[in-house]
Amino acid sequence: MHIVVCIKQVPNTTQVKIHPETNTLIREGVESIINPFDENALEAALVLKDTLGAKVTVVTMGPPQAEAVLRESISRGADHVLLLSDRAFAGSDTWATSYALAQGIKTLGAVDLVLFGKQAIDGDTAQVGPGVGEHLGWPVITFVRKIEVEGNLLRVESVFEDGFDKIEVAMPAVLTVVKEINIPRMASLKGRMASRKAVIPPVTAAAIQARPECLGLRGSPTRVIKIFTPPKKTGGQKISGAEPATAAQAVIGKLRELQIV
Amino acid sequence: MLPLFIHAAVAQDYPDYLRDESRRTGRAEAIAFPASATEVQQALDLARQRNWPVTLQGGRTGITGGAVPEGGLILNLTRMQRVLGLRHDPDDDCFYIAVQPGLVLQELRRQLRARSFDVTGWSTAARSALARFQTAPPQFFPPDPTETTATLGGMVACNASGACTLRYGATRDYVAGLRLLTADGDTLELRRGRERAVRRQFALTTTAGRTLAGPLPAYTLPEVKNAAGYCAADDMDLIDLFIGSEGTLGVFTAIELQLLPEPAARWGLLAFFPDEAAALRFVRASRSAADVRPAALEFFDKRALNLLRREREHLAALAALPALPPAFHTAVYLEFHGAEDEVGAAVEATAVEIAASGGAAADVWLADTAHDLEKFKEFRHALPEAVNRLIDERRRRAPEVTKLGTDMAVPDAALEDVLARYHRDLAAAGLDYVIFGHIGNNHLHVNILPETPAQYRQGQELYLAWARDIVRLGGTVAAEHGIGKLKVPLLEVLLGAAGLAQLRAVKQIFDPASRLNRGNLFVPD
Ligand SMILES: Cc1cc2nc3c(=O)[nH]c(=O)nc-3n(C[C@H](O)[C@H](O)[C@H](O)COP(=O)(O)OP(=O)(O)OC[C@H]3O[C@@H](n4cnc5c(N)ncnc54)[C@H](O)[C@@H]3O)c2cc1C
Ligand SMILES: Cc1cc2nc3c(=O)[nH]c(=O)nc-3n(C[C@H](O)[C@H](O)[C@H](O)COP(=O)(O)OP(=O)(O)OC[C@H]3O[C@@H](n4cnc5c(N)ncnc54)[C@H](O)[C@@H]3O)c2cc1C
Repeated sequence: MHIVVCIKQVPNTTQVKIHPETNTLIREGVESIINPFDENALEAALVLKDTLGAKVTVVTMGPPQAEAVLRESISRGADHVLLLSDRAFAGSDTWATSYALAQGIKTLGAVDLVLFGKQAIDGDTAQVGPGVGEHLGWPVITFVRKIEVEGNLLRVESVFEDGFDKIEVAMPAVLTVVKEINIPRMASLKGRMASRKAVIPPVTAAAIQARPECLGLRGSPTRVIKIFTPPKKTGGQKISGAEPATAAQAVIGKLRELQIV
Repeated sequence: MLPLFIHAAVAQDYPDYLRDESRRTGRAEAIAFPASATEVQQALDLARQRNWPVTLQGGRTGITGGAVPEGGLILNLTRMQRVLGLRHDPDDDCFYIAVQPGLVLQELRRQLRARSFDVTGWSTAARSALARFQTAPPQFFPPDPTETTATLGGMVACNASGACTLRYGATRDYVAGLRLLTADGDTLELRRGRERAVRRQFALTTTAGRTLAGPLPAYTLPEVKNAAGYCAADDMDLIDLFIGSEGTLGVFTAIELQLLPEPAARWGLLAFFPDEAAALRFVRASRSAADVRPAALEFFDKRALNLLRREREHLAALAALPALPPAFHTAVYLEFHGAEDEVGAAVEATAVEIAASGGAAADVWLADTAHDLEKFKEFRHALPEAVNRLIDERRRRAPEVTKLGTDMAVPDAALEDVLARYHRDLAAAGLDYVIFGHIGNNHLHVNILPETPAQYRQGQELYLAWARDIVRLGGTVAAEHGIGKLKVPLLEVLLGAAGLAQLRAVKQIFDPASRLNRGNLFVPD
């Protein structure tokens, strides 16, 4: 089994500063860490490696300094890493990032499973995992809190606000994981020695056969018009206890009353 | 009429200030929150007029009752929290920072990291030292007691230390200058290297021109990490007499501290062993191996790990760390500071020693980023937290019981025997306990967790019996928390009746009316 984990290097703060003119992130002066949810994704892969004997490859796209999070991954037990780093990637939105990651993954040979964190703590869109699934043409299940493998099948639990789905999916597949799936392990001595010796060359856009027009600002359809804090949601009303059909009637009634439908 | 910064009705308006972390409660007629040395002087004047004893307070994090008043005036220094200036010394190429005594450790650390200070009132020299400081490599203040809300005044008064004292020494080693007020309001200025004893005789002149002179105690303190009794040695630097004197000789009003360049890398390593013997073999090996040289070397016995396992769900600090596998019996924590390469090499050397001692490289957790190192800090904090939670629970059933925490360091050769004795005696007495602490300095804390008042008394007897034997072996009764009021009987065990009388003679010279911190170190007549 070959598992790929996509991890992002993020600033260690939830207070993201955005450059007022370019609308890009200002990263100077902040400690860089592995995106916390991606630590859970890596741990999920390492647990499968411990129990089933999988091979784990960790991929990141970022500036040359992103090498640090790949070394950390080796320290914890990853077998291989891939650093996608090239000026051509700079300014990529979630779509272009997903495309580049998918292109990178395609160069890794047979892959059974790709794991993501549920979202990045700086960008917060939660789009990259599903985006990669789209580019690869594989099924995607988000917000996974439990993974079991049976032959070629994955049995997963995917959480939503007040419940969870049990889903079976055939590999290859893409999953994004939530924090409660596990507690990440610390680095090991063996891993640290391996990571010290590891040579991690940056891999360019050309090397993953990415089309230049699909990368960077040029390949990014998203335009950030304005960034603001949305007003807090107020109360709302919960319709419960009724039969589904009656409840639906009540909702429709309410919507009519508010002249929404 | 009292000055505005002094308040009566302490029990009613300031009840928290009648306690410290020893959880002992005292009483007081008034409390003063001076904002300057002049106000400290006014408060001391008032105390003299009313014939009040004076109890000094910093952050009240002390656990021996040193800051708990027994009547009179509380002099709380927490409003004096300014950084007074910076200095660069061309001789040792070090930076020195001058602070008021009420500045808390975590705030000092924050300002050093940010390299930004309120410079109101700074001299031109201090401002130009700041300019230099801001472009120099980052600097830090090495003493690292676990409780970072302690004030610098309290830390100097108790000669506080921490896990990294193994490498950097205690607070004493970083105090370069002191300004203090004696009980009758005279000022003494001390600078390391300037005022020295002649053999065992001292003479100091106050800024008002008065001479305070006499013999230093004749005793020899044990050559282990120590925070008990006045420092005394032939030809000693007299600044050392005041460091660790627990507020009995004077009120510190300004302190100058030495800084060191921040190491490029700090890594932590938590090694788990299948039994205690293997862990102890590893401790010996890692202390003697030239290529290991940890900054910290800490120990957690089986019972300490079991307590963490049991209390896990209540300890937020542990949430970021994996659960401890059942096979992990005893743990040793090491920290390495230095250049990235040095630290990496030390960790590899440590791996060799772990395997040679009967451990396994696979049972090691490593933190090689600041982010992960924070998790280990939390792990170490979790233990005292778990102990306190357990004791609070037991106090609900038996309010008389409280934690009995030992603080004794022993000479190198005695470590294993003393630890074996602790286990043996506690098992024979049927007492619940955990053992953890600074094993690099042969300084383990035994925390006895009594369930009944009878067990509490039993624990106290054991503590006293251990103290007698440890002193005979050349160890100390208090290595970092000091004597305060709770451990007064232990100081006499350490110094003997004659030694204690010599210490009291020094106190008599500086504070004839025995006004300052009455009840600390010894019971007044
Ligand atoms: C118009 C536009 C321009 C941008 N320009 C820049 C720029 O110039 N510089 C810049 O730094 N950012 C830029 N960004 C932000 C960048 O596109 C996103 O940070 C990135 O696409 C990830 O999105 P996200 O942070 O929302 O991740 P999410 O979708 O929330 O992340 C989900 C998961 O995807 C994986 N993942 C996310 N990003 C990566 C990655 N890089 N490598 C590996 N795995 C990953 C992780 O597993 C993560 O948990 C720009 C965004 C937009 C919209
Ligand atoms: C959870 C916890 C962990 C701890 N860990 C450690 C540790 O690792 N290492 C360690 O050494 N200690 C430790 N301690 C004990 C305590 O933090 C230290 O003794 C600390 O030095 C006390 O500082 P403080 O400002 O709180 O002083 P206080 O408790 O207010 O006072 C302590 C003594 O200093 C005197 N004093 C205070 N200010 C002055 C002054 N300006 N001039 C003269 N005398 C003064 C007081 O009168 C008193 O006798 C710990 C305590 C707790 C609660």
